Amino acid sequence: MVDSNPSLPLLSANGLNKAFGGIKAVQDVNIQVKPGSITGLIGPNGAGKTTLFNLLCNFISPDQGTIIFDGKPIQSLACHTIALQGMIRTFQVARVLSRLSVLENILLAAPHQTGEKLQNTWLFARRPSIVKEEKQLRERAMLILESVGMSHMTHAYAGSLSGGQRKLLEIARALMADPKLILLDEPAAGVNPTLIKQICEHVKAWNKQGITFLIIEHNMDVIMSLCDHVWVLAEGQNLMSGTPAEVQTNPEVLKAYLGQ
Amino acid sequence: MVGYLISLAISIATYALFSLGLNLQWGFTGLINFGHIAFMTLGAYTTVLLSIKGVPLIVAALAGGLLAACLGLLIGLSTLRLREDYLAIVTIGVSEVVRLIATNEEQLTYGTRGVVGFPLPLNDGDLNIVLKVGMSGILTAILGISVWKLWQWMSQLPQGNHLKSQNRTVLLFSGYVFCLALLVLTLWLGLSVGSGFLALAIAPLGLGMTLPYFGLENSLAQIKTQSWNTHLALGFSTLAFGFAGMVYWANLMGLWENYNYKAGLLWLLIVAVALVFWRLQALVNSPWGRVLKAIREDEEVAKALGKNVFRYKLQSLMMGGAIAGLAGAFYAWQLTFINPDGFVPLVTFNAWIIVVLGGSGNNVGTLLGAAIFWAYDALTRLVLPSILHLDSARLGAFRVMLIGLLMIVLMMWRPQGILGKKEELTLGR
Repeated sequence: MVDSNPSLPLLSANGLNKAFGGIKAVQDVNIQVKPGSITGLIGPNGAGKTTLFNLLCNFISPDQGTIIFDGKPIQSLACHTIALQGMIRTFQVARVLSRLSVLENILLAAPHQTGEKLQNTWLFARRPSIVKEEKQLRERAMLILESVGMSHMTHAYAGSLSGGQRKLLEIARALMADPKLILLDEPAAGVNPTLIKQICEHVKAWNKQGITFLIIEHNMDVIMSLCDHVWVLAEGQNLMSGTPAEVQTNPEVLKAYLGQ
Repeated sequence: MVGYLISLAISIATYALFSLGLNLQWGFTGLINFGHIAFMTLGAYTTVLLSIKGVPLIVAALAGGLLAACLGLLIGLSTLRLREDYLAIVTIGVSEVVRLIATNEEQLTYGTRGVVGFPLPLNDGDLNIVLKVGMSGILTAILGISVWKLWQWMSQLPQGNHLKSQNRTVLLFSGYVFCLALLVLTLWLGLSVGSGFLALAIAPLGLGMTLPYFGLENSLAQIKTQSWNTHLALGFSTLAFGFAGMVYWANLMGLWENYNYKAGLLWLLIVAVALVFWRLQALVNSPWGRVLKAIREDEEVAKALGKNVFRYKLQSLMMGGAIAGLAGAFYAWQLTFINPDGFVPLVTFNAWIIVVLGGSGNNVGTLLGAAIFWAYDALTRLVLPSILHLDSARLGAFRVMLIGLLMIVLMMWRPQGILGKKEELTLGR
C-alpha cells in the first residue's frame, strides 16, 4: 500500500495558522508524517491538537499554511475529497451512525461505490454490478468486523454500542475506507485497559499492512508502545518533536504538561 | 358509494405521493422542509398552465415535476450549506413567496380567480374496451403485488412470532369479505355513509385483533406471549387489506359502469404511487440510500468518509420536490380548479402529520399515515355532526383540535410513529 517515496513525508503541513476571533488556536505549526510510521501528536489540553486535525482534513479551513498529502497540496480541497485521497479521520468523541447497523456503518465507508451514485441507482438499483459489489463489500466488512471481534453484533444498531465499542467501530470504519493515513483522535480516551490493549494491537497489525497512523493521545503508555515519532504541541505552537523516549525526558515537555 | 370511495382514495393517494417526497427529505435525509407545498404549487400550476396551451398532459405533468426539482435546486444551492434550522426557515419562506407570486402574477396565473377549465386526463367520455381491460389488468397486478407483500410482512411479526401462511390468508380474506358484507349491510339498512365507514373501520380491525384467539393459532399459550402490538399489527393489516380491496372494487366499478374521469384519475394515481413507491423503496435500500441515512444521522461522519454531503442533500431535496410537483398535477386534476388559497402552509403540515404518524423514514408508514389521515377526516366529517350539535365553523375547528390531541396521544404512546421502530428512540447519539 505504501507506493510513495519513503524518503518523502506522506503528510506534511507547513506554517499552519488558525485564529478563532482573537484566540490563536494554531500558530505556525509544522508537522510531518513519514509513510508507514505511527506518529504521535501530544500536548496539554487546549494545545490545538484537535484543531490541527480539523485543519488537516479541512473540516476547518486554515488561515494560512500549506498541507501536502501524498505529494499533492490538499489545503484547498473539500473534506470529502481529502477523504477520498486516502486520509481518513476519526473523532475525539466517537461518532457512529446510531440508527444504522454496525455493518451498515462499515459498508458506508467504502469509497467510490457504484451504487452510491444516483445515476446508477435510480432506474436499476439492483443491477448485477451493484449487487455483486455490495456482496464483496459485505465480505470485506465482515472480515474487518471479525478482526476487531465485533462480528457478533453485525446487525445491532450502532447507537446501542458502548463507548469503547464505538471507538473500535470508528477505527474499523476508517479501515474500510482504503486509507493511506488514518488520523486517530484519542483512541484510548474513556476506554477500559483491556480494550486499549486490543486497540493498540489492531493499530500495530494494520500498520504492518502498510497503513500510516497519526494519533492524538493523552495516555503516554499508548504513545510509548505504538509511536515511532512524536510531535508535541503547546499553546498552539510546535514545542518539539522526536522519538517517544526523547520526548518523555525533555524538560520543556514536562514543563508544558505540569506547568511552571 | 362508489363515487365517494373513489374521491376518498384519490385524496389519500395524492397526499401519499406528496408525503413520500417529504419522507425522502426528512425521514431519510433529515432535511427539515417546512415549505413542501411550494413544490406542489409549482407542479400544479405548471401542469395546468402548460396543458391549457395545448401541451400533452403527461408532458405537462412531467414538466411540473421537473420545475419543482429546479426549485429544489435553487433552495438547495442557497441554503443547504447552512445548518438545518435555517433550511426550515427558508423553505417556509419560499413556499409563501411561491404562493404570493401565484396570487399576484395575474397575467400568468389568473391570480385569486384561479385557473379553471383546464384539460383533465382520460376525460374524453367513455374509454374503449381494450384500454379498460388493460387498466383493470394493471390495477389487479398492483393489488396482487401489494397483497403478496402484506401477506409476507405478516409472517414476521414482532417477538419472532410466526403466523402460519394459511392463517394469514384466512385473516386477510375474511377481513375483506367482512368489509364487503358490512358495506352492503349498511347500504341496505340505509345508514349514513359515516356510520358505514365507522363499521368498516372497526370490524376488520377487531377481526384481525381477535380472530387469532379463536383457534386460528396453534395454541392459546403461544397467543398469550404475543404482545398487544402484534394484535394491533394484525388488525391493521386486515383493515389495510379490507380497504385496499374496497378501493380496488370501487375503481373497477368506476371504470366499467358509468365511467367518470375520476375513476381514470384514481387509476393513474394508483399507478403513479405504486411506481414512485417502488423506486423509492429500491433507492433507500441501495448504497445511495445508505449515504442519505448516514447524512441524517451525522453529516460530519459522512463527510469524513468521503461522501459529498452537499450533493446528496441536493439530490434528495430535488427528488422529493419532483415527487411533490407530480402530486401537484394530480391535486389540480382532482379539484378541476386551482387558486392560490389551495396552497397554504397547512398542506405542508398535513404532510408532516402523515409522515410522523406513519413513522419517519418508513415509506409504508407514509402510505398508512395518508390513509389514516383521510380516514380521520372522513369519519369526523361524517360522524361528528350527529354527535355534536355545533355549527360547521366550530365543528371544523374542533376537528383540528381533535387531530392535535390525537397526535399528542400518539407521541406519548408511540413516539416513533405507527410503523417506526421503538428501539431507535432509545439509542444514544
